[in-house]
Amino acid sequence: MKICISSTGKNLSSIVDTRFGRCAYFLIVDSDKVKELKIIKNTGVQAQHGAGITASQIVVDQKVDVVISGNFGPKASLVLSQAGVKCYIVPSSMSIKEALKSLNQGELQELLKPSAPHYS
Amino acid sequence: MGKEKIQKIAITGGKGGTGKSTFSVLLANKLVKLGHKVALVDVDVECPNDYLLLNQKLKKKIGFTYAKFPKIDKRKCRKCGLCVKSCKSNAIFQAPGQYPIFLPELCSGCGVCWLTCPYGAIKPREVKTGEIFINQVNNNLWLITGLAKAGLEETGPVVAQVKKIVLNFAEKMNIDMILFDTAAGTHCPVIQALINVDFAYAVTEPTPMGAYDLGLLLELSQKLKIRTKVILNKANLGNKKFIEKIVNKYKVKIASAIPYDKNLAKAYSNGQLLDLDYDFRINGEKFFYEKKV
Repeated sequence: MKICISSTGKNLSSIVDTRFGRCAYFLIVDSDKVKELKIIKNTGVQAQHGAGITASQIVVDQKVDVVISGNFGPKASLVLSQAGVKCYIVPSSMSIKEALKSLNQGELQELLKPSAPHYS
Repeated sequence: MGKEKIQKIAITGGKGGTGKSTFSVLLANKLVKLGHKVALVDVDVECPNDYLLLNQKLKKKIGFTYAKFPKIDKRKCRKCGLCVKSCKSNAIFQAPGQYPIFLPELCSGCGVCWLTCPYGAIKPREVKTGEIFINQVNNNLWLITGLAKAGLEETGPVVAQVKKIVLNFAEKMNIDMILFDTAAGTHCPVIQALINVDFAYAVTEPTPMGAYDLGLLLELSQKLKIRTKVILNKANLGNKKFIEKIVNKYKVKIASAIPYDKNLAKAYSNGQLLDLDYDFRINGEKFFYEKKV
């Protein structure tokens, strides 16, 4: 299972970025091969509009199954759910490593509706 | 014909809440009293409110505005993803192996996607984007209001289409002065409003924010080569130095200063600005007012 986490930094001890569309980096890990870490710089962060769509496109192009972030906007949550990607929310500030652990233990809440308003 | 050219004046300023609409109504009223036939055009299409200041209701329509948005023909689409890459508004999303999804609330209607699609699977579809209202306020004053559909992404084209309809209307009705009351800011709908006007008044207030946004606006009007003068509203509040600095930098003049005035505020909030024969003087600009016979 491929997991994407919005991150403020480039490694597993970085803090989860609470914004999905406008996060600094996407870290992608494969739950079968945890040692392999893919780092993608979020190019959509400067977008005037539609940062959530650009980010979602990056995520689906990487064939990700699960996304973890602090919040998802209305457009991102719409298209990710249509693409069959599951979204999970971290309740408080935590590192990437902690977030992955929480996900494994079933402690993260699945997103059912947008958790953040539209920004532009 | 020997017809006089129609004067087109924009009332703009950068910062919001400086009194653009108030000044527009006062100026329109003054021009009518000086014998002009005036169309006041509210091109703040995302939130027009001149009709409120004139105690009018938006009922009678004289037209609509349109834009073209993409529509997908799934029989022709091969899911190649080129449209997704072509879209500068991030308005197209595609999950792997699925048809692209178009997000109308992000779409600017630029048309790149249907020009890009190699299979002709995207077709433009005309959609109404706004309404144009008319009120005849008195014998020589018309209010024309552009109102964009709520949530529309790109309102510049709405402004452009409103202006076109107004020009036709003005010629038909022998209107000799058109005032365009623009939105705040310096973005597309303001640029569209300023294009092709003969003159602009930039209404501002003596605050750091007023001065900063005025600077941006003057930068824009110089790029568009539009002669601009400053109207300093609420002139007795704040600090005039903020504005003087910007005015000197861009070498423009303060045409008039309007002090904060309780009577003016009262008339404004009661929709009675027209009853107020406000005597603001515009230095050296008197030729605009005197009706040439």
